[in-house]
Amino acid sequence: MRIPRRSAAFNVTIKSDHRGSCQGTHVIQACVGYCESSAFPSKYSVLLASNFKHITTSVSQCCTITKMQKIKVRLHCGASRRESMELFTAKTCQCDMCRLSRY
Amino acid sequence: APKSSKPSKVNLKTFIGCAVREFTFLAKKPGCRPMRITTDACWGRCETWEKPVLDPPYIEAHHRVCTYNETRLVTVRLPHCAANVDPFYTYPKAIRCDCSVCLTTTTECETA
Repeated sequence: MRIPRRSAAFNVTIKSDHRGSCQGTHVIQACVGYCESSAFPSKYSVLLASNFKHITTSVSQCCTITKMQKIKVRLHCGASRRESMELFTAKTCQCDMCRLSRY
Repeated sequence: APKSSKPSKVNLKTFIGCAVREFTFLAKKPGCRPMRITTDACWGRCETWEKPVLDPPYIEAHHRVCTYNETRLVTVRLPHCAANVDPFYTYPKAIRCDCSVCLTTTTECETA
């Protein structure tokens, strides 16, 4: 059973270089959620295959971005000049593979 | 969110956090009769997120899972083992569970 994922809005500020001569802010979406995970004693087959090192098994899902969308952010360079830049925002989220949970 | 407590009186459909939870499994070993064991394991829902960033790989992720923080090893004697088979079976019992990374040194980390 999963808790429905939600997307969370946050502000990003983009600077064109270290001096920040061109700058702009935009609201983009992230994915935040609570997906089910558990850990329990490993089966004998897992124990054998790992030379009795993996005594526990963890089965998990994490909140992930499934679709991204490109958006254009307008950057202001001083009083008159304008530039634009493309960046991504999360479009849809779901509980899926925890790509970065291992250590 | 509750941590390291048994969620016996909470609604499991809406529970958020990582807790010790009763778990029953069949302890099997070649040459012995399997034995049903009830122990404490970990279960829950941890906060995880992904956000788009400007630089490759373009997604920053915070993936933490409900796993063992502290365990105690329990050894039982399996019934009706063959004469040449070691009858003892050792398994972990959860003392504390937490949302954290899955340690590949001690854990088979599965995700789907």
